[in-house]
Amino acid sequence: MKAIDLDKIKAAWKNENSFDDKRLSLEEIEGFLSRKSKDISQLFRKGLIFDIVLKGVIGLSLVGIIVLFKNDLPLILVCLGILLLIAWAIRFQWLMAGKIPKAGASDPTVRIVLEDKINFYHQRYIKSLYVGALSNALLILSGMIYYFYFKYGEIRPFQWDDYLVFSAAIIIGFALGAYAQIAQHNFQIKQLESCLNEIDEDAISRLTLKEQRNRNRRLILMFLIAIICGLLLLAYFIFR
Amino acid sequence: MTHERTHRHFLELIHAHQSIIHKICFVYCKNRADREDLQQEIILQLWKSYPSFLENAAFSTWMYRVALNTAINQTRRPGLLLDTSSSPEIPYDPSDSYQLSEEIQLLYKAISKLRKVEKAIILLWLEEKRYEEIAETIGITVKNVSVRLVRIRTRLAEIITQLQ
Repeated sequence: MKAIDLDKIKAAWKNENSFDDKRLSLEEIEGFLSRKSKDISQLFRKGLIFDIVLKGVIGLSLVGIIVLFKNDLPLILVCLGILLLIAWAIRFQWLMAGKIPKAGASDPTVRIVLEDKINFYHQRYIKSLYVGALSNALLILSGMIYYFYFKYGEIRPFQWDDYLVFSAAIIIGFALGAYAQIAQHNFQIKQLESCLNEIDEDAISRLTLKEQRNRNRRLILMFLIAIICGLLLLAYFIFR
Repeated sequence: MTHERTHRHFLELIHAHQSIIHKICFVYCKNRADREDLQQEIILQLWKSYPSFLENAAFSTWMYRVALNTAINQTRRPGLLLDTSSSPEIPYDPSDSYQLSEEIQLLYKAISKLRKVEKAIILLWLEEKRYEEIAETIGITVKNVSVRLVRIRTRLAEIITQLQ
């Protein structure tokens, strides 16, 4: 009985022509082509490009530090080391951007498109989020050096507690940056995983579940480190 | 074919087959703003994928595949506090600006309660696509299509009965 009803509705569906009254004009369709995509692949790409630009700016600020402290050899060596790290990170992000699966590819099935995006995220993109979080730490570092320059005209010798405070700030910057980005992307990737599960009529594969558990453990560990560093920093300011 | 002509040809093809886009947007979105966003995204993805169509044959089949891929891959963005719980149920509103018959409005409302892949399967079935085509589009076996269709149709009939 139910099937017969559906077949009747199916016939009505075929004959439905309400959309004909609201047809898009050629100009309207053309207008859509000039707008920006909101696909998750585009989100990956935008994130990488933003981070490459940010790292470029940090690199320039380090060059500025080398110029300002041209007589401080140890600092120059540290800056050159960080510049090398930035160059590696930018290259890593750039290569990653080239590997992002294209959205809406026509040949693969729905399953393949979903698998490509989910695998890309878990196997490759997640690494780039940690590399991306380096920017926060480096931004704090270069900011601190500039602070010393404009406030004291030099970098004063550090006490043990100075190392503690600055290390804590850098670690917290890195951990919070990584956590925020991973949480945001996980939220969207989980929606794609739910679609893939629906196709497979099965829970996430054991491998993916294991990966998820490992990732969650890493996140919890990072969060704990950030909290401990924060508490140490707080204790320092209270008891100094 | 020059870029200009390819561009023009693409626009004409989309213009002629645009009912496919409207149907998919109605199936996957509950309000007008979301429908407009998805409509734009589908047209963009069709344009980006267009070079791959030139080697293939049936435009509507290719269009369904790209459009469904785009609709299924659409994701909600997290809120400010990264709340990962499911979003509150948005009432389905198919009526704005379209004069759909009551029967079809009921059908859209019922389909909106299905899961994303179920929506794709039932949509292709409504469009009288062969089981082989549905299987190739989704990436499941023909037998699986047949089994799932029985289940989805039963569920859809139940939802329609409840809505009536």
